[in-house]
Amino acid sequence: MRTKMNTEYYLSEFDASKENLEKLASEAIRHGGDWCDLFFENTVNGNIVLRDGIVSDGGFNVDYGVGIRVLNGEKTGYAYSESTDMKSMAAATHAASAIAAGSANIPPVNAGSMNILPHGDRYQMLKDWHLGECKIFLERLQDKIFAKDSRIVKVLAGVFYTITDVLMYNSIGEIAYDTRPYGTAYASAVFTQDGKLEMKSVSRSYMKGGEMLSEALADEIAAEVVKGIDDRFAAKRPKGGQMPVVMGAGASGILLHEAMGHAFEADFNRKGQSIFSDKMGQKICDSHITIVDDGTIPGNRGAVNIDDEGVRGQRTQMVTNGVLTSYLHDRISAKYYGTEPTGNGRREGFRFNPIPRMRTTYMESGNARKEEIIASVKNGIYVDEFTNGQVKIGEGDFTFFVNSGYLIENGKFTQPVKDINVIGNGPKALADIIAVGNDLKIDEGSWTCGKGQSCPVSCGIPTVLIKNLTVGGE
Amino acid sequence: MIDEKLLLTAEEMGFAERCLEKAIEYGAQKARASVAKSVSDEFKTLNGKLDSVTHCLDRGLSLNVFVDGRYGTFTTNRLDAAKLDKFVKESIWAARLLAEDRCNDLPDPSRTAKDAINGDELGLCDNEYAAIMPEQRKKTALESSVFNVYKDKSLISEEGEYSDSVSDRLVLDTQGLRARQSETSFSYGCESTIKDAAGGKISGYWWDRSSKLNDLDFRNISHKAYSLAMAKAGPKSVKGGKYNIVVDPNCASTLLTPLLSALNAYSISQKRSFLIDSLNKGVFCEGLCVIDDPRRKGENGSRLFDAEGVSAVKVPIIENGFVKEYFVSTYMANKLGIAPTISTPSRPLLLPHNVNGGRDAIMEYIGEGLLITGFNGGNSNPSTGAFSFGIEGFLFRNGKIVHPIREVLLTGNFLDLWNNLEAAGNDSRRCMSKLIPTLAFSNADISA
Repeated sequence: MRTKMNTEYYLSEFDASKENLEKLASEAIRHGGDWCDLFFENTVNGNIVLRDGIVSDGGFNVDYGVGIRVLNGEKTGYAYSESTDMKSMAAATHAASAIAAGSANIPPVNAGSMNILPHGDRYQMLKDWHLGECKIFLERLQDKIFAKDSRIVKVLAGVFYTITDVLMYNSIGEIAYDTRPYGTAYASAVFTQDGKLEMKSVSRSYMKGGEMLSEALADEIAAEVVKGIDDRFAAKRPKGGQMPVVMGAGASGILLHEAMGHAFEADFNRKGQSIFSDKMGQKICDSHITIVDDGTIPGNRGAVNIDDEGVRGQRTQMVTNGVLTSYLHDRISAKYYGTEPTGNGRREGFRFNPIPRMRTTYMESGNARKEEIIASVKNGIYVDEFTNGQVKIGEGDFTFFVNSGYLIENGKFTQPVKDINVIGNGPKALADIIAVGNDLKIDEGSWTCGKGQSCPVSCGIPTVLIKNLTVGGE
Repeated sequence: MIDEKLLLTAEEMGFAERCLEKAIEYGAQKARASVAKSVSDEFKTLNGKLDSVTHCLDRGLSLNVFVDGRYGTFTTNRLDAAKLDKFVKESIWAARLLAEDRCNDLPDPSRTAKDAINGDELGLCDNEYAAIMPEQRKKTALESSVFNVYKDKSLISEEGEYSDSVSDRLVLDTQGLRARQSETSFSYGCESTIKDAAGGKISGYWWDRSSKLNDLDFRNISHKAYSLAMAKAGPKSVKGGKYNIVVDPNCASTLLTPLLSALNAYSISQKRSFLIDSLNKGVFCEGLCVIDDPRRKGENGSRLFDAEGVSAVKVPIIENGFVKEYFVSTYMANKLGIAPTISTPSRPLLLPHNVNGGRDAIMEYIGEGLLITGFNGGNSNPSTGAFSFGIEGFLFRNGKIVHPIREVLLTGNFLDLWNNLEAAGNDSRRCMSKLIPTLAFSNADISA
């Protein structure tokens, strides 16, 4: 396994030299523009699938290249090359620099010096990934799942992993590098009972190496796969309509991601599209609520050593005691707003320019106990498992799909519910949060945010009660 | 023909040939390789001014190896001879780590495409593509904006995105398959955000795409995005209950896609389908007819072959409510002991039912209900067909729009929904790969 690496390691990996990086950056803004950065990436990912009792499907993928960005004010020129020879990179540089053609602004490039940014070098990873070990893990996992419930007729399980080396250089002479390991283990089972089929899926994702494939993880996934399956067979769709919704701790953090987090991303605000565009410094919800976007939780899927512009991963409080205190910034928006970037400049890979993206978005714990919150609801629902969500930035309307939950009648769980969508409006839902639990939980599922490009993220929330949301039903 | 420099070169095609040779040399019994290349340019505008320019060149190679009853899929974009040799060697090594499964195989050569030779048999390339210069792209993007027309009329933000591309793909296997498809693509999308009377922000999005530049009316797309946003201003609540719904062709594929997924043999074998044991059975209403029509020259979504190289042919998928086709890959055919068909549908086309007209004619036919113009999130349970989607659209009466709606959910089961199909129009959008016209259903559950 590779251990500590240095600048030379990454330069060598991408056939690059300090002189060539400086030359490309100089060339990129020779005719104008005020910023250039280069983002080198070498990604190897592997996947392996257990199906019908055997691990017979798998493979790997190699993706390598460099993205070159030129900024001219808030305008972006971007091009990439899948080859890092100078001729190919020069062609990409030429294409990216088109954005600044004719601009009078020609800044100097900080040639001759290299400012190596701290916080780089590989993210902590204790063990490399190996397909063979993934196969053994999946076989063990399958046995554990089948052993738990005789109604299981199918198990599908898999492991997906990624190791990405990145090297960044910009026109003020900063160089940064990182190695980023990601892993996901998932399983789903199909159950039969009285001629009916039900399915349950579970995944766990981390920013870790092969060490994540532990016996404990297999036990945890197996237990989660069978958990609540009796309720699923018994579940019904509720009568739809507007009602109080108790959102269980953990995965309900999707509410924050969809309903609020996207609207706090500074690019939407810079363009005047977000519903929070003119709300900075204003009270937008109850003073007990603090919402955070955090890149510093060790091993979490939303963690970043450094973002994809070389800015340190950090913790950003977007809402502090009910007041909007920060957007999520990349370098463009930070410059526009006259503030420091918050380490949210992220991208799917070298084919994409960085834009403000969330990391791990969560709400700080409040004071209420979960039991008290549920007991306070006369007629409503409790939801705790989700698959996906979506938001319309301008309107603030969000939805998320609920896999499981319960009807609450007179403060108690009664009927299990499943397969319903919940819809609401972000600012209104935020203002309608009337109780916050003391049980913050960060979810460890495989959340991937799609905002034109995919980014690994995570979310979390304590148990919260929202006064009124629209719930799908019959 | 399009400029050959933009398509796969002899050297790049040679990479795929070399990978097949090396795979056999390193121990595989059979292999399939595909090499693809695409060049694309994108010019984005913000409020009528250029905001970003992107130029992309992508090349990639995919290798499927069949070695000692084992099978793996491997891809790389590092296309040089030495690196590819190492890639093939590691692929064979990795495939050997997997369990034996003799159901994996190449398709029978009699089923693979023989007529995809030069790549442009379907006429999907615009020969003028190579002549388009960056200045023209920039001009098109800027001239497509209508920000200055509407900026004093409540428009607060307009994002436009012009893009064009050329792509070329060659698939080879060790049984003699050689199939190629090339295609150009031009698209423009525009999102307009307006401020309504109450100070709320409302957005409208419209887009179009074609393989031929002259098919697109760029500026009209921006006008339409603005008018869609304006139409949504002042949304009102509706009461929950049973409604007739009319679904716009722009989003109707959301309701058909889960049916097509449920007809995939893989989903059926894994019991992740609500259409198990449905072949040749009438499980939908008689008016539902869907065909796969893959070989229409010059039409978006057309193709001569699937991912395995199997020849795509015109077939009924659902005929008068009867399921006529499962999508069966070579692997699934061997696994289930049934005849292979095609791994996925190519260009599904839903035929008119009851009304031979467009959205207005269907709204008039239905009279009263909700017009759905977009879905906002939602999902479905593949095993049961239960679904729930957020919807946006309008209340209509006497065939005419009354007002926009908001925070509304459509919930049901796909089997019930498609058995309540009341009408299907003839107005599917050519730019979409699934040709689904305006649809109308009765008795839909609406929560609000």
